[in-house]
Amino acid sequence: MGNQAREQELEQQAKLLNETIKKLFKERGEIEFAKEPTLAKKNIIEYNGRMRADGMEKFNNPTYVSFVNFYIDTKSMEKHSALGALVIYVEQSYVVPLVKKLKYPPIDDEDENAMKDGCGALCNIIAGAYKSALVTGGFAELEMSHFSNYRNTAANGIEFCFKEWDKYEISYYLDNEKRLVVELTMGVVPKRR
Amino acid sequence: MKILAIDDADLERELLIEVLKGSGVTNEFLQARDGDEALEVLGKYFKEICLILLDWQMPKVSGMEFMEGVVKVPAVAHIPIIMVSASGTEENKKKARDVNPNLGGYIVKPYKPEELLDVIKPFLK
Repeated sequence: MGNQAREQELEQQAKLLNETIKKLFKERGEIEFAKEPTLAKKNIIEYNGRMRADGMEKFNNPTYVSFVNFYIDTKSMEKHSALGALVIYVEQSYVVPLVKKLKYPPIDDEDENAMKDGCGALCNIIAGAYKSALVTGGFAELEMSHFSNYRNTAANGIEFCFKEWDKYEISYYLDNEKRLVVELTMGVVPKRR
Repeated sequence: MKILAIDDADLERELLIEVLKGSGVTNEFLQARDGDEALEVLGKYFKEICLILLDWQMPKVSGMEFMEGVVKVPAVAHIPIIMVSASGTEENKKKARDVNPNLGGYIVKPYKPEELLDVIKPFLK
């Protein structure tokens, strides 16, 4: 696949993810975003073979970061040979309101583990819905990791497909402010046989 | 009888329990954060458990690995298991049923409370 085709495919994947998130938020919490989410292609910043994920860069404030990886199959998963990664960033001050909007039980904003877990639960349902949307869109079923959570920075970086150079960053606006950022990097997802 | 809720996300477990209690389910709940912890709880309380609600993607021992283990042990193989997972493709559902032909149900997160209740009701004791 040529570079241009790859770029187009990644853009399509990002659009699919964006539509999935809008649908999920609408269904789960009747949430409408304050304005249309913005999609921006960015270079992956690599460090020791892993993708850097710094929440402070997204909000300039303390941020919770959660991610899952996608794999072609269970063997790739065992070898930690990721096809893609989905990362979510929620500003610390908005974790509790967002969890509430999504109709989860209340969490204590002074409990760091509960805040991480809230961000992780959100990442998990987004990733699961995206995985299902891929299948509906004619792509192969991918394996998905469990979520990992951090405050501010994913300390050890994130697995990603070494053939990829770019990721998409999608920003979501709630209550007139940017409140949620979702990043997606994805290698070539095979079509369903 | 008790219900064992297994999910690595505390918030998802709390939601599950809150939804069921709010719907009038009076069973006691046991909880585990991964398959490993769940095996310990199951070993201790297996005679008192009427239903297992099981997430798929979990660290250490995943939901599928846990279920593979459970179906091989006659003392616990009869306990109904319902998958509650964010991955809800037909292929995932088939995989789960291949591992456990007696799977009680498969619920996709995020779920509607009434949908959850409909699936678990037949298994409550």
